[in-house]
Amino acid sequence: MTIHHHATDETLMRYAAGQLPAAPARVIDVHLSGCPACRARVEQFEALGGALLEQIEPAAMSPGAFAAVLRAIDATDEKITKTVSSLSSVGCARAPAMLPGGIGLPEALRDCEMGPWRWIGIGVRASVITLPEDSEARLMLLRVGAGRKLPEHGHFGTEFTQVLVGSFADEFGRYMPGDLSEMGHEIEHQPIVDQECECICLAALDGGMRLTGFFGRLIQPFVKL
Amino acid sequence: MNAFLEPARSEIANTSPSRRGALVTRLMQDGATPDGGELSDLIRRVADDQDRHAYARLYSYFAPRVTSFLRKSGLPANAAEEIAQEVMLVVWRKASYFDPEKAGVATWIFTIARNLRIDHSRRSRVATAAEATPVDNEEVAPSGEVLLLVAEREASVRAALGSLSEEQAAIVRLSFFSDKAHSEIAQELSLPLGTVKSRVRLALGRLRTLLEGQS
Repeated sequence: MTIHHHATDETLMRYAAGQLPAAPARVIDVHLSGCPACRARVEQFEALGGALLEQIEPAAMSPGAFAAVLRAIDATDEKITKTVSSLSSVGCARAPAMLPGGIGLPEALRDCEMGPWRWIGIGVRASVITLPEDSEARLMLLRVGAGRKLPEHGHFGTEFTQVLVGSFADEFGRYMPGDLSEMGHEIEHQPIVDQECECICLAALDGGMRLTGFFGRLIQPFVKL
Repeated sequence: MNAFLEPARSEIANTSPSRRGALVTRLMQDGATPDGGELSDLIRRVADDQDRHAYARLYSYFAPRVTSFLRKSGLPANAAEEIAQEVMLVVWRKASYFDPEKAGVATWIFTIARNLRIDHSRRSRVATAAEATPVDNEEVAPSGEVLLLVAEREASVRAALGSLSEEQAAIVRLSFFSDKAHSEIAQELSLPLGTVKSRVRLALGRLRTLLEGQS
């Protein structure tokens, strides 16, 4: 799988820095799982984090902080092995949710819950993904019919769209499975799903609390934005 | 664990409370800023021998920096120290999970701090999603080669950071550490939002050019 559309440096830096909200971070997780180039960038940004950490002006610790950590070590040493093994099974119990056509949810979403597909417009259905780490997060799957043209739209925050199945094209090119479309709020675009088959995307908005664009109006009815 | 009553531990345990403080101080004052090789050596000693002298060195170097990082990310001082303590506890417990083929010590500790901060801010019930390892399923190169790659990556990132202008380095630091949106950074620096955005973009572009020029 050759990836043609990548995450921006700014997004990868925010991801590596832990600044990206939960829903866009999951979209990036999915993108990274198929994109060695972006993974390498994230590793660089994490190394940048390490370098910045070493350069930072050290804060004064309160007196006794080190002794307190030593006490905590003594107190917890015995239970380590148990907690490690029990936690490793978190998220594996649920049967993986399926996309149409029997394709499983991406590995990076296996611990999430997938809501039912709902009709939200002609040729457009959506399913809300619930994240265990943040119940407020707004992550969703969009399923748009073959050849369907979405009205031109802009958005308030950045829109992250990762193609899972099928393909679409807009002014910036053609997006195939594995590609990420990252649209800033200043950009208006008009995606058209390719004729061959429907397109399933994973989408999240960053900072989209007051959406007025098409995407916002589309999802407004069933997520509380 | 009892089989591994290492010197520092028994020393502390057998020391009267009045002398404990002095001993803790002595444990922590062992020399100057450690370099990358020394740091991985210290981690290895913690992992293999539960060596508290090595741990004290790591603590005295990293705990104040992690605290500072967490404060800059917007946490109040006491929460920052509390999470930094947790980070250092994870360093002790997970020292054997440190993989020099993946990252340098400072980078590893940075990612632990980042993940615990995220957990804290999301109040996740799955607290140790923090320590989950990210996806990695690439074929593995011979380990000597990988180690060299990691060392190169760490060195090139540091070199690139060092050759940014002070203003650009400040923008990178600010956007990396602070959870503030660009609009807030713009207010803080009394700059128009567009200017902040283009400066971030420029600084990252320069960083990329520098990194690509070295590889």
